[in-house]
Amino acid sequence: MNRKTFSIGGIHPADSKFAADRPIEVLPLPDKVYVSMSQCLGAPSKPIVAVGDKVLAGQVLAEPGGFIGAFVHSPVSGTVKAIGPGKDLAGNRITQIEIDVEGDEWAPGIDLSPELVTELPDDRQVILDKIKAAGVVGLGGATFPTHVKLNPAPPAKAEALLINGSECEPFLTSDYRLMLERPSEIVVGAALMQKALGGPVCYICIEDNKPKAIESMQKAIDSLPYKDILVQPLKKKYPQGGEKQLIDAVMHRQVKSGALPISEGAVVQNATTSFAVYEAVQKNKPLVSNIMTITGNCLPVESQHNCLFRIGVPLSFIAEWAGGVPEKAAKIISGGPMMGKAIANLDAATVKGSSSLLYLSEEVTRRRPEQQCIRCGRCSDACPMGLEPFLLNKLYLAGGREEELEKNAAQDCIECGCCLYSCPAGIPLLDNVRQAKVQVMGIIRARAAAAKAAAEAAKNKN
Amino acid sequence: MAKSYIVSGNPHWHSPASTQKIMLDVIIALCPAVLVSFLFYGWSAILTMAVSVASCVLLEWAITKYLLRKSSTIGDLSAVVTGILLGMNLPSGISWWIIVIGALVAIGVAKMSFGGIGQNVFNPAITGRVFLLISFPAQMTTWPVPHGFIQSVDAFSGATLLGKVKELGAASVADLDYLHTFLVNIGGSAGEISALALLAGWIYLCCRGVVKPWITLSIFATVAIVAAIFHAADPAQFTGPLFNLLTGGVILGACFMATDYVTSPMADWGGVLYGFGIGFIVMMIRYFGSYPEGMSFAILLMNMTVPLINMAFHHKKYGR
Repeated sequence: MNRKTFSIGGIHPADSKFAADRPIEVLPLPDKVYVSMSQCLGAPSKPIVAVGDKVLAGQVLAEPGGFIGAFVHSPVSGTVKAIGPGKDLAGNRITQIEIDVEGDEWAPGIDLSPELVTELPDDRQVILDKIKAAGVVGLGGATFPTHVKLNPAPPAKAEALLINGSECEPFLTSDYRLMLERPSEIVVGAALMQKALGGPVCYICIEDNKPKAIESMQKAIDSLPYKDILVQPLKKKYPQGGEKQLIDAVMHRQVKSGALPISEGAVVQNATTSFAVYEAVQKNKPLVSNIMTITGNCLPVESQHNCLFRIGVPLSFIAEWAGGVPEKAAKIISGGPMMGKAIANLDAATVKGSSSLLYLSEEVTRRRPEQQCIRCGRCSDACPMGLEPFLLNKLYLAGGREEELEKNAAQDCIECGCCLYSCPAGIPLLDNVRQAKVQVMGIIRARAAAAKAAAEAAKNKN
Repeated sequence: MAKSYIVSGNPHWHSPASTQKIMLDVIIALCPAVLVSFLFYGWSAILTMAVSVASCVLLEWAITKYLLRKSSTIGDLSAVVTGILLGMNLPSGISWWIIVIGALVAIGVAKMSFGGIGQNVFNPAITGRVFLLISFPAQMTTWPVPHGFIQSVDAFSGATLLGKVKELGAASVADLDYLHTFLVNIGGSAGEISALALLAGWIYLCCRGVVKPWITLSIFATVAIVAAIFHAADPAQFTGPLFNLLTGGVILGACFMATDYVTSPMADWGGVLYGFGIGFIVMMIRYFGSYPEGMSFAILLMNMTVPLINMAFHHKKYGR
């Protein structure tokens, strides 16, 4: 099939996928895990266990805190030691459940065997219910609850399901390894989601720098009986894996500002999410583990790993297991070098969305001293949303120019980092545009609230 | 954590691009043209450019240090680029003090008084050249006989081809050998001898992604089309497209001066409009104005429209 890519902007950072040839290893269990209640985009989950309770792996620990929310399950068997405040990797306060690990006993009904189950449930509601009950969230980074995305409110209807295997962030290889090692499970997961959505065509989107993954997925599709599942090769370009960019690349449609992908008939799910959906529906196994890449530019290849970890394991435990934090590391990042989050607190526990432990050395990660803008336009050329970061930066710094910021679409910024990456003058474009976006979003929300209040007042009058 | 680590927003790494590397690429791109002027004009061409570069860099250093009291910006090499371009726009061997005055206007007036790199409204090198052209018209249009390492058979001192047209009419250049003019066009500023050398540098810049080709192509196309129309109407009065492309500063200006980041529009279609403006104005000056050559004036005039063009032309936004 023709290789496709998105039409606006984009950059080509060095691939740096050093851990690509490292098979997935199973991380040993620590003595304690800390399960965060803030594991998805949406309301924090509400604990339903008490201190002193014995729990089994896969047992429900917490319920969704709202419509956009997810169940949280115990990743281990053991005793609930404490439920209280903790800190996430950025140092923000969260509620977490501390569990002492005792053995590795799983809740009844969970199928841990490696056999592939290819027969799909007949009822789409069964699929949705099982995905919800298993606490599956998007593992591509945004951790949006998967069952919500798979059940769009009518009249919206999915015309295409895009399985995102582009893994466009440099360094990261967890999706890649899973596509090589468990391709059939990913395809069954895709078929399940396809069925839940009412049978749209499904594209498994992979960048052409991963020919082995393309081959592996194609083989799995050929060996399975599902219809309308295709591999869509993509030209390597960052941020291909961005939801909006992927829809543009594959479907040649652009999601309107402020709208959801489903408004263009698209549903995007990550390849690893597809695997989690498979385990949830076919194996009754809740989302209690994920795959993490331990990588960096200051780590010898033999010390790089891809590992299957239980959610709640402290980051520091994983770092120790992999041989400790390298001497030259100046910045530790959870996620890729473009969009990941800098880790302030290595004692924080992993969450569902944790995908990497990335060590970058001083010389790569240090920001250049800021110089004056030379108006070279590299930031505008790189922006995949077609924004003009230099202009947004200037307007933000001038202060009080929110109207112009909105007109120039600061709120559309996806924070992919292309502008700051490209700037030859080292201007902190994204830092400032992010602030501008917050200001504009505030105004947009206030306006919507005011309009709603006015409409209600008018209604009450009548 | 025993050791402390950097915590800051994404992205966590950066492209190797820097202002200094961009300017270095421009300097590399100018090398072929500098080499050609050395071959034809000898050491006097190099001396002209050396004086120009030295005065530009020194002036910027002195202004940042003593007037602005800020850390020096000469490390970004933009003053070197301005210096080379100014030198290339002067007759080889012009008096050193005229060059220094040109540098003072270019760096002191056009660049630093607007706030330094990235803030100037007018292209510094052209501002310097135009100031000198108006102030010292005699010296600025006295073209020396080449006495370099390559002796050209048609070497002459005095008027340029465009000057000849202004005085004697279009027919006086009717039998011009265009291929020869493309390779070697003696008479004129130090840097504009060889169209080939200039174009080679420009192609290098395009390949390196330093400049986009639209502005330059738009200028070339406009000059060619306007000249073709007038030449077809009255070949005796108006010179043709090829003649106008190859003479004067059209190639030097279109490749290296009009493409200056700061003084040209940001969006691609804005650049096309800007290029059209330059091409049109230069042809009007050549056909109807009192100056034989108009590239510098055309670029300066269009520099002024850049803020307006930037307001009208924006990038194509996603989903809008």
